[in-house]
Amino acid sequence: MSVEVKQEPALDTDQETRILLLCHENPEGINDALIQEHMPQFDVQQRVTAINRLLSTGRIDLLKSSSGKLIYKLKDSSAADPVKGGDQQEKVVYQIIKDAGNKGIWIRDIRFKSNLLLTQVNKILKNLESKKLIKAVKSVAASKKKVYMLYNLEPDRTVTGGAWYSDQDFESEFVEVLNQQCYKFLVQKAELSKRTKEDPIAQRNGSFASSQDVWKFISELGISKVQLSVEDIETILDTLIYDGKCEQTIVAAAGDGGQTKLYRAVNSLINSTGLMRMPCGSCPVIQNCHVGGAVSPTTCVYFKDWLQLQ
Amino acid sequence: MSNCKSSICSHLIKDHFGDLTQTVCDVLLQKCDCHLRQLTSEAKIPLDRVKHVLTVLIQNNLVTFQKNKRGQTEYTLDHDAILWRNRIPHYIFCGKNLYGDAAELLIEDIAHNGQITMSTVVENVTDKLNEALENAGHPKIGASVVYEKFKALANTHFIKQCVNPLETLCPEDIDECAVAKLYTVPPFQPGNRKRKLASDEEAQPVNKKIKTEAGASAADDHIYWTINNNRFHRYFTDQLLIKAIRSKIDERAGQILQTILRLNEVMTEDLALTSNPVSFIEIFQALPKDLQLSKQICEQYLTVMADDSTGFVNKIGDSGGGMYTINMMKAMTTICTAHVESVIQERFGSKSLRIFRVLILKKHLEQKQIEELVMIPAKEAKELLYNMFAQNFITITEISKTADHAPARSFYLFRVNLEQVARMLLEHSMKALMNTIVKREMETRENRRLMEKEERAEAIIANLERSGGDAEQKEEILQSITPAEKTQLKRVKHMINMLDQCELQLDETIFVLETYLQYCETKLKTKR
Repeated sequence: MSVEVKQEPALDTDQETRILLLCHENPEGINDALIQEHMPQFDVQQRVTAINRLLSTGRIDLLKSSSGKLIYKLKDSSAADPVKGGDQQEKVVYQIIKDAGNKGIWIRDIRFKSNLLLTQVNKILKNLESKKLIKAVKSVAASKKKVYMLYNLEPDRTVTGGAWYSDQDFESEFVEVLNQQCYKFLVQKAELSKRTKEDPIAQRNGSFASSQDVWKFISELGISKVQLSVEDIETILDTLIYDGKCEQTIVAAAGDGGQTKLYRAVNSLINSTGLMRMPCGSCPVIQNCHVGGAVSPTTCVYFKDWLQLQ
Repeated sequence: MSNCKSSICSHLIKDHFGDLTQTVCDVLLQKCDCHLRQLTSEAKIPLDRVKHVLTVLIQNNLVTFQKNKRGQTEYTLDHDAILWRNRIPHYIFCGKNLYGDAAELLIEDIAHNGQITMSTVVENVTDKLNEALENAGHPKIGASVVYEKFKALANTHFIKQCVNPLETLCPEDIDECAVAKLYTVPPFQPGNRKRKLASDEEAQPVNKKIKTEAGASAADDHIYWTINNNRFHRYFTDQLLIKAIRSKIDERAGQILQTILRLNEVMTEDLALTSNPVSFIEIFQALPKDLQLSKQICEQYLTVMADDSTGFVNKIGDSGGGMYTINMMKAMTTICTAHVESVIQERFGSKSLRIFRVLILKKHLEQKQIEELVMIPAKEAKELLYNMFAQNFITITEISKTADHAPARSFYLFRVNLEQVARMLLEHSMKALMNTIVKREMETRENRRLMEKEERAEAIIANLERSGGDAEQKEEILQSITPAEKTQLKRVKHMINMLDQCELQLDETIFVLETYLQYCETKLKTKR
């Protein structure tokens, strides 16, 4: 009877260390073929056990490469396993949420990616939430939709709506106030330029203000609790263009290349049109108005009121 | 020819000419081209009365006639000409602004008479002016002053000779020389109705029509003059542009634009999409001297206007110091857009105006994009957008991703079709105009008794003054009108004034919309 020394356990840990070493050397990840190359002495069974052990202890990650092959990557030990004690499913879900970054991910998408049942996913999410590992953020686009993201991450702008939304509410008064302030600034600049400059080209150029100037002015005014960026101010200035109160020109920027947008206040072309100076212009029942009908010019209430005004 | 427009024509005819004419016109409005017998039977009026009515209408350029295929003469009513009668006060005001009091009276006289010879009108106006001057204590003026004004009006094409419809075969027969002849004024000899033909008329190139006329009479009795409506309309269009530039840039820019337009006045044809190019030197020389603009400043103003976002003026070359044209199509589009935006603002509010302007600027947008750009809470923006859509100011284009046009898988793009909106508003304005006319007639009818009483009282007082009555009798007459009636009268007068003014302002909107649509049609024709 020959004595066979079971070499496996020592060999196993040895194998695991060697696989880990390989992972260290190839930070991009190693695949099965590579392990086999380096350690031809271990057979498939041993390799599988070793890898499973490494996976369950959370030393390496199992990923799918772009070509569809399986890759093993060394897990960053600093981000060491907050889900300690959690089971495999929780780890999977946690990983999916982490990958979504600061945009967050919707519950249906979690289900798709993890291939788990809805009830399971729900339970896991509740678990993770109670452990304070993830949080739910309401999206501003659809108010019933909740996206999940890691606890310590700041939600992205598209979710919260950026500076114009506070707690899912669009701050229309804030936008209005900013609108008026920007307009006032532009009007003052235009008037100053008209007073001081003589020739028309200088007047026009003097009345232009770049978006930087407006941004500085608004920041100095201090009416905003939130720090506004130049892009925010540009969206406000765009609404002024849509109101017909100012116009925009784009010129080549000085120095740093690219383009600057210049804005200036403009007067409107006409005051108001003749049609709207009389009741018929804004009459809601004009379609029904006929001579001799229930609604007619001779019996029109709006006409009566309008003609009484002295 | 919309229902509304027909009713307005009918009412206007009644206002200006009376009930009989209205009956005849109603038949013409309904039946379009009619011959005499048909008119008589439909209107149920004796033949000679119908003939009389038709004569009056033809004299006033409201009815034209032509031979139809069966050799009968058919009469057609010119709807636009009737609506233009509403603008006569505007024409008179223009004449006064441009050439003074004499021109004002000239245009008024010509407009009242429809077609009139030069000698008659000049003498009439001279008499009227002299009467007024005498009353005011100024010295009389000679007819030559009035004649000069007449010539000035003809030279700038505000009045033109009537084309004899019996001798002209069709409008295309009139060649260039004849067109120039339309505005040539024969010399005037006061107090002398029948004169020999003046020498410069003989020098005119031969034209069959003129030769027969020249041979037929030896006076200018057969040369009738009438108002050139198209020219006045062009002038109004120019005024619109000048007003717009004046409020956008400043007063001096308006003056410069006026100079450019005046240089182009008689050269550019009607409804041209862009005006003829004018060089900078011409503009500078034609500027009024009291503006005192230096060459440099003038050039700068032109640059500012050329760079402006409204795009009225284009610089197309550098010869002669810079060649500038006026882009009429763009100008009319901008002005029409401004009027439409004013309608939106007054009707729906400033927030809707923002949405509307976004759509005009960006052409096509989805609902979500609109909500983002416009910085209005999404729910409110949606409501305003659909409100405007329900009233047909905005249209939707559906682009489906799949063949089954499922709503969940299609793009719905909102856009503004300015021509369609302009037509809708034109209809709306016509209806408003009709309502104003009807309301005014109603007020006049209801208070007729009172107004007649007041007229009688005033006539008696005037008589008394002339025959030297004493103050007591005047007092008596004045007191026959009780204070209550006086307030009523004041109220009625105020109402009628307001409605009149309303008609004039509506006419301004109608003019803008109509001119824009005309330019659109011209653009379409030139594309083909």
